[in-house]
Amino acid sequence: MGSITFNHVFKQYKGESRPAVNDFHLSIEEGEFLVLVGPSGCGKSTTLRMLAGLEEISGGELYIDDKFVNYVSPKDRDIAMVFQNYALYPNLSVYENIALGLKLRKTPKYEIELRVNRVAKILEISHLLDRKPSQLSGGQKQRVALGRAIAREPQVFLMDEPLSNLDAKLRAQTRAEIIKLQSDLKRTTVYVTHDQVEAMTMGTRIVVMKDGVIQQVAPPKRLYDEPANLFVAGFIGSPQMNFVEGSVTREEGRYYFNNKRMKLLLPSAYDGLFDRMNRAVRNVVLGVRPEHVLLKTPEPDDDEKGFVTSAVQMTEVTGADSYVYVTVGESKIIARTDPGTAYRNEDKPAIGFNMSKLHFFDENTGISLADGGDEE
Amino acid sequence: MIRRLRRITPFQVILVTVFTALAAFMSLPIVFILNHAFKPTNELFLFPPRFFVQNPTGSNFEQLFLHATNATVPFSRYVFNSVFVVALTLISVIVVSTMAAYVLAKYQFHFKQLILSLITLSLMFAPETVGIPRYLIISGIHLHNTYLGHILPSLASPIAVFMLVGFISQIPGELMEAARIDGASHIGIFTKIVLPLAVPAIATISIFTFQGVWGDVETSTLFMQDETMRTLAFYVNSLLSGLQNSVAGQNVAAAAGLLMFIPNLIIFLLFQRKVLETMIHSGIK
Ligand SMILES: Nc1ncnc2c1ncn2[C@@H]1O[C@H](COP(=O)(O)OP(=O)(O)O)[C@@H](O)[C@H]1O
Ligand SMILES: [Mg+2]
Repeated sequence: MGSITFNHVFKQYKGESRPAVNDFHLSIEEGEFLVLVGPSGCGKSTTLRMLAGLEEISGGELYIDDKFVNYVSPKDRDIAMVFQNYALYPNLSVYENIALGLKLRKTPKYEIELRVNRVAKILEISHLLDRKPSQLSGGQKQRVALGRAIAREPQVFLMDEPLSNLDAKLRAQTRAEIIKLQSDLKRTTVYVTHDQVEAMTMGTRIVVMKDGVIQQVAPPKRLYDEPANLFVAGFIGSPQMNFVEGSVTREEGRYYFNNKRMKLLLPSAYDGLFDRMNRAVRNVVLGVRPEHVLLKTPEPDDDEKGFVTSAVQMTEVTGADSYVYVTVGESKIIARTDPGTAYRNEDKPAIGFNMSKLHFFDENTGISLADGGDEE
Repeated sequence: MIRRLRRITPFQVILVTVFTALAAFMSLPIVFILNHAFKPTNELFLFPPRFFVQNPTGSNFEQLFLHATNATVPFSRYVFNSVFVVALTLISVIVVSTMAAYVLAKYQFHFKQLILSLITLSLMFAPETVGIPRYLIISGIHLHNTYLGHILPSLASPIAVFMLVGFISQIPGELMEAARIDGASHIGIFTKIVLPLAVPAIATISIFTFQGVWGDVETSTLFMQDETMRTLAFYVNSLLSGLQNSVAGQNVAAAAGLLMFIPNLIIFLLFQRKVLETMIHSGIK
């Protein structure tokens, strides 16, 4: 119960030149916590609203529990939705807000009472049941909105940026609560956010979207370690992955990464990638995460070890880590360092990369060279 | 408390004084009507006229009822007609306007813009210009001397629809979507969500619809030839125009003026509180 299948789903708004959702093709398993993430306007909400039945599907088929639901009205899809602006009925009390869905489904009165009270207890809003939404704080409103969804006990929960109106502390707390609720209830959940941290911490699987097109679908760790393209690589992770343009050449059976300032001997583990890129000129973008950038004091044999000179522009201390912004030629690179070593502006440390943690992307297409094309 | 009082600035004092004075000035007509109705004849003709009554008397009302009992149609009949017509019109205007406004504000359909433009356009017609076409329509469908003839002309209220469209489009669409997912039908969404939230606007349109219909003499004059179908406003009006220049007429006029004014005041106070209450408590967002 609660599995979802998108079969090449499109959404074309009237009067728009390109589709808001373009060939969305995905299966969601029962009980899964799936997160849709992407920049604003990439079609996340549209996808969710098509799933909810609030938006017509322009092309393709949608199945919930193997039932074709393109033309099924929202109330008959056995879903519940939590909105960004809570969407609580202002004229009804908290109790009535939670109970309305049950009442409209002709649930017996004693059972409504039972369920509302149980949900209120789980969410710790029992003392608020008589209040009107206008008498609640943002965090309390969001709990009521969650309660309204849970009380119905639907097969699928849909949430559209439910935390983005909360302040940072409350957001982290509610995030943890939603994760716990989901794992307790084991209901299929589709969660939309533009915040990659939220996506990474909540989802069992993440869908990264851009311009209405799915970029990659993967569990959080895989998304982080094996981004399918430049967009995903840059979008997931904060501060974002460093990119250095250059070309890969083959000398005496070994591959080298070159640009004006660097010449890096690449470990043979990468050979397969470049063999596959069967071209005379292999223009690539090298990607490396800040935690895989090494800074040290310059030494004479740096060249052989793959270190080059850099110039510190700025340092950002976050507490546990500090991020050092340096330039190497025209490339700007961020390095995560331990705050014990202080770098001052205009310092010229040597910079190198953890050679086993490099990513390579085709400069033209932006697609990862590691992406064999067999991504799920 | 004392500390708070001390913190009142001269600016605030001036502000309160000015607004109190303004409010007092604006309420002068009401004070006048109230006092005027209880003035004995000699005070009515006092020059210069006074606002406040010196020796209040109920004789003006006596005169009014005396006059009314002499008429061919009993006074109570006019009152009944007025109350009946106003009540029915008010209810129908609210039902029709809110339903029309909900659809115009929240649904997409063909010719929606055209309809909205037509409604806006019809706001610009002076009542006089539609008098004759209205008469032709009423007589064409034989609504002379019927209650429907009273109600129908005011039923389509462009100003009410216009105001409600503006108000209802402010209600977030997410509320209706949440209700749809919760399982509410279109009617359910309308009655459970939209109507309660539109109460301030409904109260506003009720006030001016009431005032318009309660004070309307045109319908009774043009469409009702049967005296038993005419309303209180018509009766009072004809009374006044018939007696304008007589001394006795002034007494009756003063009493009738108050009588016509009181329901307006009551309705206004009643709904105005509702307007404020809902605005304060519901807080749509
Ligand atoms: N009702 C609509 N009519 C026309 N275009 C829309 C409508 N809703 C959204 N869009 C467009 O569709 C695209 C995707 O929007 P949306 O799904 O809301 O993005 P997201 O939720 O990812 O920020 C955007 O370009 C947006 O402008
Ligand atoms: Mg959105």
